Amino acid sequence: MNKKYRSVGRSIRKKGGVEKVKGDPVFAGDIELDNPLVLKVKRSAYAHALIRNINTEEALKIDGVKGVFTSKDIPGVNLLGIINRDQPLLAEERVRSLADGIALVAAETEEAAQLGIDAIHVEYEKLPAVFNPVEALKDGAPKIHAKGNVLFTRAVLKGNADDGFEKAYSIIEKEYTTSAIEHNYMEPDAGAGFVDEDGCLVIYASTQNPHYDHKELVSLFALEDENVRIIQAATGGGFGSKLDLNVQGFIGLALLHLKVPVRYVYSREEAYLATAKRHPFTIKIKTATDRDGRLIATRVRAVCNTGAYGSYGIAVASRSAVHGTGPYSVENVDIEVKCVYTNQTYCGAMRGFGAPQMALAHESQMDLHAEVLGIDPLAIRLLNGLEVGSLSGTGQLLTSSVGFKDCLHAIAPYYEEAKKSWVSTCSTPFKRRGVGLGAMWYGIGNTGVQNPSTARVTMEPDGTVTVFTGCAELGQGSTTVLCQIVAEILGISPDEISMVVGDTRYTTNAGATSASRQTYISGNAVKDAAESLANVLLTEAVNRLQVPKNTLVLENGEVTTTGNPDCGIGIAVLAGRIHDKGGVLSWQGYFDPETVPLDPKTGAGVPYATYAFACQMAMVEVDTLTGEVTVEKVVAAHDVGRAIHPENVVGQICGGVAMGVGFALMEKFEQGKTESMKDYHIPTASDVPEVVAIIVESEEPTGPFGAKGVGEPALIPTAPAVINGISSALNYRIYDLPASLERVLEASIQAGHFGVQEE
Amino acid sequence: MNMNYVRPRDLAEAFAFLAENGRDTTIIAGGTDVMVDLRSGELDTRFLLDISRLDELKGIRLEGENLVVGATTTLSDIYHSELLTQYAPALQKSAYNFASTQIRNVATIGGNVAHCSPCGDTVPPLVIHETKVVFSGKKGERRIPIEEVATGPYRCFLEKDEIITAFILKPVEADFADFQKIGRRKDLAISRLSMAVMVDRDSDGIISSMKFSLGACTPTPHRMTAVEEFMTGKKVTCELLFEGGKLLAEKMIEITGRRPSIIYKEPAVQGLFVRMLYPVV
Repeated sequence: MNKKYRSVGRSIRKKGGVEKVKGDPVFAGDIELDNPLVLKVKRSAYAHALIRNINTEEALKIDGVKGVFTSKDIPGVNLLGIINRDQPLLAEERVRSLADGIALVAAETEEAAQLGIDAIHVEYEKLPAVFNPVEALKDGAPKIHAKGNVLFTRAVLKGNADDGFEKAYSIIEKEYTTSAIEHNYMEPDAGAGFVDEDGCLVIYASTQNPHYDHKELVSLFALEDENVRIIQAATGGGFGSKLDLNVQGFIGLALLHLKVPVRYVYSREEAYLATAKRHPFTIKIKTATDRDGRLIATRVRAVCNTGAYGSYGIAVASRSAVHGTGPYSVENVDIEVKCVYTNQTYCGAMRGFGAPQMALAHESQMDLHAEVLGIDPLAIRLLNGLEVGSLSGTGQLLTSSVGFKDCLHAIAPYYEEAKKSWVSTCSTPFKRRGVGLGAMWYGIGNTGVQNPSTARVTMEPDGTVTVFTGCAELGQGSTTVLCQIVAEILGISPDEISMVVGDTRYTTNAGATSASRQTYISGNAVKDAAESLANVLLTEAVNRLQVPKNTLVLENGEVTTTGNPDCGIGIAVLAGRIHDKGGVLSWQGYFDPETVPLDPKTGAGVPYATYAFACQMAMVEVDTLTGEVTVEKVVAAHDVGRAIHPENVVGQICGGVAMGVGFALMEKFEQGKTESMKDYHIPTASDVPEVVAIIVESEEPTGPFGAKGVGEPALIPTAPAVINGISSALNYRIYDLPASLERVLEASIQAGHFGVQEE
Repeated sequence: MNMNYVRPRDLAEAFAFLAENGRDTTIIAGGTDVMVDLRSGELDTRFLLDISRLDELKGIRLEGENLVVGATTTLSDIYHSELLTQYAPALQKSAYNFASTQIRNVATIGGNVAHCSPCGDTVPPLVIHETKVVFSGKKGERRIPIEEVATGPYRCFLEKDEIITAFILKPVEADFADFQKIGRRKDLAISRLSMAVMVDRDSDGIISSMKFSLGACTPTPHRMTAVEEFMTGKKVTCELLFEGGKLLAEKMIEITGRRPSIIYKEPAVQGLFVRMLYPVV
């Protein structure tokens, strides 16, 4: 903190921000191509069926239809999945959900494509379907995949939970449920492509991970690496769903066979039908405290419904289990999360990977314990909160950057003030106010697996710098943050750095833009590369300036000696000299956080190198006559290690709160009922509370300049804070999300608030 | 599949067009319902007759005893009308959080009524003002009570050669008037429940007259005379509001039967009734 940074920690103008305001970035749906064909997918008529025959003859006769493809036209391995491969691009002998694609039509117009779709005749043999994961676990349930309906189970065991419960002063056992959620990124899935002169399939995609897309296409079509090029087009949000291969595979299949430009843009309805959802969870949780409120045992049995395919289900189950204790020190832990197949549209990654669902449970339990013991909800969190020296549920010793209690302390004055003067000043007898807390911890990066990032930083002989990164920018600001890190190391202005982002021909794999990992992991990768480059510049400067290397610094585009600003040399001069000598000015950087894989039986290990922490407070007003809920204000304190770009951090927090309010109060995806934004409600600007964002900086020694991450943490505490606020307002708890009009009014009635009130 | 867009120069031209092509024509004004139905494929029409620029259909004015609101008056115009503040505040209030700003700027009151959605927000206020809806065509005009415009959900009494041209309201300067609704979010939400009320009280605070209409809960709009009669002649207390609300819920169920949504709507109708009239206490 002593060192003054020039780029890091400043809310510089966003890279590409001006261009975005002017409408310059080109989204995949707008890329200019020479008469591109339109693509459309024929999807299953049944949630579960065998396919007896697919007749495409009639479709091929339709004027304007240029091609119809089925699984038989896929030359490679017709299976998708980054974690487990179980999802065909186009169905073979079986469909497992209404989202399953059966055939792909390429046509000159939308109308012809639709006529083609309608003319494809599929003979099915209908099979019994199962939609509830608990039903799917029973003997005799329809079997969705050959290996059975359980995709994955993650256990986390520590100490002896039974002993803990035996010693307990207070035990609370409850069941919580959450709903399936649609991501609702602004830009529906889109892609476009052509075959270049070398025969390479070039695909522009709205994606969170161009390099994974590349790997999937190479495998699907049995191509060499150089025959597929994925370029990330401007991407209008992802929130996890654009980690899956949505349109890219279909574009590739059409290009492979037709070799003419094609485009595929999902309608909002198709994005609803055919892309991943947030896993709905059923969580049974039993927690115990001693007389003082110290947590001594937790037992969780949770089932998450992954629908027809795995997608990121294993990651969701694993992360939710690891995070099941909440940001608290618990001696005895017995957690098991099962990820189960059903015939719903598949569920995958969505902002938080199961942690938001689990947070509802652990944060509700904290308030319940506080109530039983007569302790304040903030006090019980402070009593149990993780700190340096704590052991997590997986047995990981937390050694640094545990800013959880700092977050709680940051919230405290707002919390006390709200309880003291806001709750009691309610204007009418039919409104009740409550203040609720929600806390969280979140492991940065993928759970207990390698997840490296790579990057290249090059300097031309004239000193101009270019950063090459595969890190997909989704609007969240990673390109700016990576640029700031490189600028800081090289002592130049971020404006002087060119960024080449997300193009598999020129960039190397940065891993996915997910798991809140890019600032920490790709940030370290670019830092590594920039430091290598800085090193050769400094070495070269020693020769010129005739002073020891450890007295040299890079700043303002020069290498200077500390304490003698007059003695300096421009980096362009140095770069030219290094180049002339045949020295290296292009450096590859690499970073992979240190983790230890989790034991398959006990979950013991080091799933993440570092964690983000947060606490949010929601001020909630409930209309006891109608069940309407207004979230007036959310105060959100987030330990991000270090905010490389504070305004971006605040932006993430505000967006996370908005999404969290939707998760808490109104969002629920129901197949067949919620077909688009017409029937599925997300918060409008009027539903989003005032957000007070507080940045807590508990520096992470392994992070770039101490940074961790904030993308997903921003969302996680909101729903529990809102639910705890409603419970505090009504003295009655809601255990199921969303806390809809119906559920809140029922709670109000049950709590005796509906009726004539004494004033 | 081939749709033609027609924009008449004046009302006479519109009537003439409808007289000939009414059967194959859909009238469009703001388009906030028509465009949605066209995209979904629910609506397939040969002609779209755009009446949105006909000046004869615009404006809010007093004509003798009547308050006249032109059919293509937008919800934004309704929201900003000082005449309505004075003579039909409940109607004005219904424009306050109708859909969103963008929709209010183009959506018309005529479209809201003609669409015959049970959830049309302007309908309950029109009902309490005993509105007559003017249906006009080449053959002349007729005035239909607002309650009879919808013959069922999304079914309009309008003939294919007619246009709704205006709404004729009884202007009332009531002691208290309001419109309230419940949606699943604060903007851009279809009303789950809505209601409009006008109340007059005598010097002792006794209700001397009341007009009340329920929206969104019943297939077509209803003035709830049983509730009006129950409340009239009584002094408003909190207890009375809960009793009135209970009666309202009972009357609603008489119309709708016990559908699954009634678990919420039964108490919520009562609750919204209490909330709306609580200022009178």
